[in-house]
Amino acid sequence: MSEKTAKLIFWIGTLSSLVLFLALTVDTTAQFAALTHADRLDEQVVAGKRAFERRNCNDCHTILGFGGYYAPDLTRAYLRLGEDAIKRRLEHPEVAFADSYRKMPQQNLTPAEVADITAFLKWVANIENHDWPPQDSVARWKRSTERMLAAAALSPGAALVEQENCLTCHSVGGRGESKGPRLEWIAGSRDSAWIAEYLADPQKLAPGSEMPDYAHLSPGQRQMIGEFIAAIAAGRGR
Amino acid sequence: MTHKTQSVAYPYFVVALLLFGLQVVMGLWLGIQYFVTVPQSVVDVFPFATARAMHTNLLVLWLLLGFMGATYYLVPEETGTDIAWPKVAWAQLVILSLTGVIALVGFFFGWTQGKPLLEIPRPLDVLVVIGALMFLANVGMTMFRARRWTAIQGSLLGGLVFLAVMYLFGMPFYRNLAEDWYYWWWVIHLWVEGAWELIAAAMTAFILIKLTGVERKVVEKWLYVELGLFLFTGIAGTGHHYYWLGAPKYWLWVGGIFSALEPLPIALMVWDTWRDVRHRTTPLRPRLTWVYLVGMVVLHFVGAGLFGMAHTLPQVNYYTHGSQVTVSHGHLAFYGAYVLLNLTFFYLAIPRIKGFRDGEYDERSGHLGFWLTSMGVVGMSLAFGVAGVLQSYLERYLGQPYMVAQDPIRFWMAIVAAHGVLVVAGVVVIVKHLLTLRSVTVQAA
Repeated sequence: MSEKTAKLIFWIGTLSSLVLFLALTVDTTAQFAALTHADRLDEQVVAGKRAFERRNCNDCHTILGFGGYYAPDLTRAYLRLGEDAIKRRLEHPEVAFADSYRKMPQQNLTPAEVADITAFLKWVANIENHDWPPQDSVARWKRSTERMLAAAALSPGAALVEQENCLTCHSVGGRGESKGPRLEWIAGSRDSAWIAEYLADPQKLAPGSEMPDYAHLSPGQRQMIGEFIAAIAAGRGR
Repeated sequence: MTHKTQSVAYPYFVVALLLFGLQVVMGLWLGIQYFVTVPQSVVDVFPFATARAMHTNLLVLWLLLGFMGATYYLVPEETGTDIAWPKVAWAQLVILSLTGVIALVGFFFGWTQGKPLLEIPRPLDVLVVIGALMFLANVGMTMFRARRWTAIQGSLLGGLVFLAVMYLFGMPFYRNLAEDWYYWWWVIHLWVEGAWELIAAAMTAFILIKLTGVERKVVEKWLYVELGLFLFTGIAGTGHHYYWLGAPKYWLWVGGIFSALEPLPIALMVWDTWRDVRHRTTPLRPRLTWVYLVGMVVLHFVGAGLFGMAHTLPQVNYYTHGSQVTVSHGHLAFYGAYVLLNLTFFYLAIPRIKGFRDGEYDERSGHLGFWLTSMGVVGMSLAFGVAGVLQSYLERYLGQPYMVAQDPIRFWMAIVAAHGVLVVAGVVVIVKHLLTLRSVTVQAA
């Protein structure tokens, strides 16, 4: 190979790749607004992003898969945990993670910061990113839960979940709200007995939780709800 | 050493090496936090996030100071003239070192921009830019005055300007998180797989010419091809970071295809080095420099090329993205491509700056340092890899909650930390050896 050919390879290689990259950047920039739902990106979301950066959250947590790997990914945290659980973790991590072998720093966030960060996470959760991360894939939640629910339709636990209107705060499969954690996610780390005990008095096991108590149900009924939730848990044959 | 002003490189090497030591100590502390429960009172004062910011920024700072020192050593020999303004080079080192110290202390007190790897707050960014401009002006002026252009110089200056320009994209505040990450990668990816590769290729070509005595024409011809391939695969290859951040789907194709080609230029570099070594006209001395050079070329290929390609395919990356698999690749790639490059250069330049006869020195503890550090980093990357595959399977595939999936990973993080001890020990040996290099002839007498 002559030096002239070598130089030609350099220029063709560099420029072709650069032109392709810049052209796609122009197109991507034009598509970001739609893919990220920029119309919902209001001042509170931006304030939340600033607070998220000020507190250096991103060096422990990943978001969109980028950042520190020391703590859970936050991309779909809003859809997984729900608003109440997020706020409790932000306000009192020392309580929320008292039993955990890994802690989150108490940074004494102001109430405004807590609200802003929650709004930010809510906006991020709806970014259309080809259904990543897989563990929070809405398509997968739907498929697995539909199958479970079909089988569990006659289960007393499922009936109780409907009767007590759990889905006005929680979500399961493609239904429900993001006030409380997703039902499939709960028993990933808890068993049915814990859930039954929690239903009797949420404050005892999760101080500060906004979850109402279900003391009016019998212990047997609470156990049935616990067993239903345990049966649809993530990480158990999903 | 052919020019007096080349010696300004030495203080750069000294600062870089001290920061390197601090970086690995911080890394060990990060590893420990993965399997030991750190009490809330400690986490409140010195959280993982702060230590990580220090670990990564120290890495970037010491590598850049190493590159800058290497540039000040290399440019006079390439151009055949002295550095234009040696005093500016000193002032620049002081400014950048001070910025680094202020940033580290600031991190401890929560002063941060909050973007991973680019945590340095904006007011300090201004100092970084001033330092970078002084550097580019100095190097540019030296080359301009000499009016002698070589491919090595061009690659080096191109890489340095590219590096400085890309840094600017990390400075603004972006309202949209997806856009923020999009341009974050213009800094991070286009540095390590673009600008830094240009600098690395130039430094490697220089080292090869000095060590092997192979004809410059041959080395420079292959340098053009390498650079062309690096930039062809590297620029559009940025797409492998755009799969899951809210960008259009075509990035899965572009990222996947271009990054599948990314090992090619590195393979060429390996072949290139091997060919030059075979055709060398000078003996393999001092042996230690060769150990570092070969270690660099091999681990650059394994860490950056193979470990990188292993998880850049979108079908694989869907499960491994943002897991310890990334960490595994990151550690081995940085070590192979850039840490060993700087260390090889230091071992080439320091004996010449100190004026040892034939560039020879007492090399014994350098070998120990190399093997301790390299075994440590390779072992650590393998353990990170096991942890990452476990995480991908348990959390991403089975859908276990994060902390449940972390439990079996703790064992592998203990293995990581054990290798971290080896790395810290090895780095202490290397730093001490490099800072106290002695000529063999002096010792014999």
